[in-house]
Amino acid sequence: MKAFKIEILATDRMLYSGPCESLILPAIDGEYGVLAHHEPVVLALVAGELRYTVGGKTEVLAVGDGFADVEEDQVVVLTDFAERADEIDLVRARAAKARAEERIHAQRDAVTLAHAQSALSRAIARIKVSSRVNGMR
Amino acid sequence: MESMKELRSRMISVRKTMKITNAMYLLASSKMKKARKRLLASEPYFNRLQDTIADILVHTHSVNNRYFTGKDTAAGETKRGYVVITSDKGLAGAYNHNVIRLTESHLNDSGNNTFFFIGYSGHNYFAKKPELGKISGEHSYAATEPALYRARSIAEDLVKEFCGGELDEIYLIYTKMRSALTADTEIIKLLPLARDMFPDRRPVITSQADNYEEHYYPSPDAVLDMLVPNYVKGLIYGAMTEAYAGEQNARMIAMDNATKNAKQLIDRLSVQYNRMRQAAITTELSEVAGAAKTQYSQQGGY
Repeated sequence: MKAFKIEILATDRMLYSGPCESLILPAIDGEYGVLAHHEPVVLALVAGELRYTVGGKTEVLAVGDGFADVEEDQVVVLTDFAERADEIDLVRARAAKARAEERIHAQRDAVTLAHAQSALSRAIARIKVSSRVNGMR
Repeated sequence: MESMKELRSRMISVRKTMKITNAMYLLASSKMKKARKRLLASEPYFNRLQDTIADILVHTHSVNNRYFTGKDTAAGETKRGYVVITSDKGLAGAYNHNVIRLTESHLNDSGNNTFFFIGYSGHNYFAKKPELGKISGEHSYAATEPALYRARSIAEDLVKEFCGGELDEIYLIYTKMRSALTADTEIIKLLPLARDMFPDRRPVITSQADNYEEHYYPSPDAVLDMLVPNYVKGLIYGAMTEAYAGEQNARMIAMDNATKNAKQLIDRLSVQYNRMRQAAITTELSEVAGAAKTQYSQQGGY
């Protein structure tokens, strides 16, 4: 498969920069796949699972909100955080999930609700990626 | 001329001050190491964010969105918001002064300005000058170590006020580290988005013809509603990281200079003190000798 260049940047580090054969991004309304020579597009990303394939091997990342700039021969992904499965603190993510659900249940004002919802989707993304790679724990 | 006693007490006080400045130097340099590490980690994101936004904007011609079009207001009547990053404490050389001076020179003359401060130095200065603009009460933070959630909460409010029409233009003023020795005060326009907002950023040029039109998925509005708060947050976080490193650096240099200066001062004072002591001894000696001679001649000698 033809390779193209991708860069995955989180606020606190450059996670990956190099060639990639296929990239799957968590877009607003579902997963969005990118191959070489994709048309230029700007995507909004939500917290979720990001997958990229290098040399036939697929890497899975949990990522936060962000956006991606797809160009002729390269893709730049900018996100709040990006973690590999083995870097995820599952205990913390589960606690965050429970906390967020509690807050959504209490339903205070719209801002609190929005915060809780984004915290929930971050936690779910982490739990999903972690359990996908390590099997259900 | 000071008396010897005064000179002595002055030397003691300079020596004590030197101890403090030296301790502050050491403290700042250890904080600086940490801040630099963090800066190195977040710099790629910060730079790429600006490059990418510049690139997206260059290729966006026909999109009409609330983030692009500022309101048409007569000059001087635009409501401007300023996010100003200073330090909490002084003793950092010209660090705060530079930020405050740049802010003042940029302000709307009509006083239609709203400030969002990170760091109390800036807050305290502008609190005394209410004619320059009002301070957003909720958002004055200490310039402690930068945190993403803090940047997020400021960005959320900024975007909300911009969309609600309470602010027409938003600027970010901070200190950028150029190298270990130089830091520049910089101003970035956060909103509204304009194609020429990052003049010194070279958009990534692809092999393709450069005048293609950017597509947005699923729609320009949906993407920009996500992208803009994210971009504002990213820039503020990046600026906080830069400014924090810049602050520690400025303090380190200022305290190093102060310590050096104190050393020189002590050297000068001790020379002066020794001279005075020598002179006093000489006077005393000649007095003793003179007295002895007089007594000797009065007794008629042997």
